Amino acid sequence: MKVRFWGTRGSLPVAQKSSAVRDKIAAALVAADGRRFADTAEAARFADDTLDFATNGTYGGATSCVEIEAVGGPSDDGAFIVCDLGSGLREFGLNAMARCAAGHARLYHVFLSHLHWDHIMGFPFFVPAFDPGAKIVIHSGHPDAETALRRQQEEISFPVAFDWLRADISFRTLEPGQRYPIGAVTVELIAQHHSHVSYGYKFTDADGKCAIYSTDSEHKIDRMDGESAFVDFFTECDLVICDTMYSLADSISMKEDWGHSSNVIAIDLCHEARAKRLALFHHEPTYSDADIQRMHRESIRYEELTREAAPLDVICAYDGLTVEI
Amino acid sequence: MTGGNLVWTAQARDTLRVVSPAGRIDESTATAFAEHLAQEIEVAAGDGAKQLAIDLSLIDYMSSRGLRGLTLAQRKSGDHGITIVLVQPNDIMREILAISRYDMVFKVYDTIELVPSGAL
Ligand SMILES: [Zn+2]
Ligand SMILES: [Zn+2]
Repeated sequence: MKVRFWGTRGSLPVAQKSSAVRDKIAAALVAADGRRFADTAEAARFADDTLDFATNGTYGGATSCVEIEAVGGPSDDGAFIVCDLGSGLREFGLNAMARCAAGHARLYHVFLSHLHWDHIMGFPFFVPAFDPGAKIVIHSGHPDAETALRRQQEEISFPVAFDWLRADISFRTLEPGQRYPIGAVTVELIAQHHSHVSYGYKFTDADGKCAIYSTDSEHKIDRMDGESAFVDFFTECDLVICDTMYSLADSISMKEDWGHSSNVIAIDLCHEARAKRLALFHHEPTYSDADIQRMHRESIRYEELTREAAPLDVICAYDGLTVEI
Repeated sequence: MTGGNLVWTAQARDTLRVVSPAGRIDESTATAFAEHLAQEIEVAAGDGAKQLAIDLSLIDYMSSRGLRGLTLAQRKSGDHGITIVLVQPNDIMREILAISRYDMVFKVYDTIELVPSGAL
C-alpha cells in the first residue's frame, strides 16, 4: 500500500511569501559557507544532504487530500482511492489524468471526512469530473454530501454548475461499524467529534496493511473515556494520519470546541493502540515551515519521553510526500 | 493516601496547600490522579486555601491524560477561588510541559519557596 499526500494544510490554503523564500535562500547560503558547486545538480545534492526540511523544502499549503494506492483483493476494480476533496485535489486530478492516459482505470472512490469547505473546495477544479468516461463514487458518512458539493457550485459561488460536470458522479452513504469492500481495500468508519460531525476511515488492503485517515477530530477533555474507541480503531495500524493542528494547551483552552486535536493526544492514542507510524496532518495555516518542523521535532521528543513499549515512528505529512507501508 | 498506584502526601502552609503525588501518570493512573486531585481541591477549599501547589518532583512523567487532569482540576479549583500552580518538575516533566504548551497555561516554579504568596 502507498499513501500519497496531495494536501496537508488545515482550514485554509496558504502560499509562501517572498520573504519566506528569501530567508530559506539566505540560510542555504550561510550553510554553504563559500563552497563552490559545479552545477545545480551538485548544489541540489548539497542542499538535500545538509539543509533541514524547512530550509530545503516546504510542507506546502494545499488543503486535505490524501490518495491511498492499493492492489488486490476480490473487489479490486483498479480505481483511485482518495480521502477528501481539499485544494490538493486539483494537482491529484492532473496527475490522475496522466496516469489514465497511460492506462489507469478512470474510476475514483472518494471518501469524505466531512463537508467543511477546506475538505471539498478542490472539487470544482477536479479535471476528471469533466471527463465523460470517468466514474466517481463519493462515499461519506454524511447523507448531505451531495447537497454540500452541489451548493458550492451554485452560481453565487462558482461559474460552472455541478450539473455541467461530465463524469458519472454518484453518492453513497456509509455507516460506522460496517466493513465495506470497496476497490482494493476494506473500509471502516468511526464518528468523530467535530462541528456537523466528521468520520475517520480505516483502509485495509489484501495483504492486511492498514492506514487510518482521522482528521478534524477533537478528543474532548470531558469525554476521555470515549478515547478507547479510537484506540480500538487504530489498533496495530501501519500508518495513522491524525489531525494535529493545535498544541494540547490550545486545544483545551482558547481553541476548545474548535474541533481539532493535538500532536500529544495523537501520540498517546497511537502508543496505546500500538500503531507503527503516525503522520502529523492538517497543519495550522498560520504556521511557517519552521513552526511545523519545530512541532514535528517536539512530537518525536514527546514520543521518546512517553514511550512504554515499541517505538512509534512520527512523521510529518507534507504536500508531495509518498509513504510506502 | 493512595490513588491508583500513585502515592500522595500533602501539607498545608497557611493559604497554600501542597500536594505531592509520586509515580507515573499515564492511561492506567490518570483517572485516579484526577479524582484524587478533585478531593484535594475540596480539602484545600475547606481549609480556606487560595493556592494549591502540585509538587511534581516525584512524578516520572505525564501523558496527555494526566495533563488534561490538571486542566480539569484547574477548572474545579477556579470555582472555589483556588489557583493551581506546578512546582519542581523534573527535566522530563519540564520538557513535556513545554511541548504541550502547558507552561503557558500553568505557572511553574522551581521550588515551593518560590511560589509567591502573601502568607509565605
Ligand atoms: Zn479541516
Ligand atoms: Zn472541519
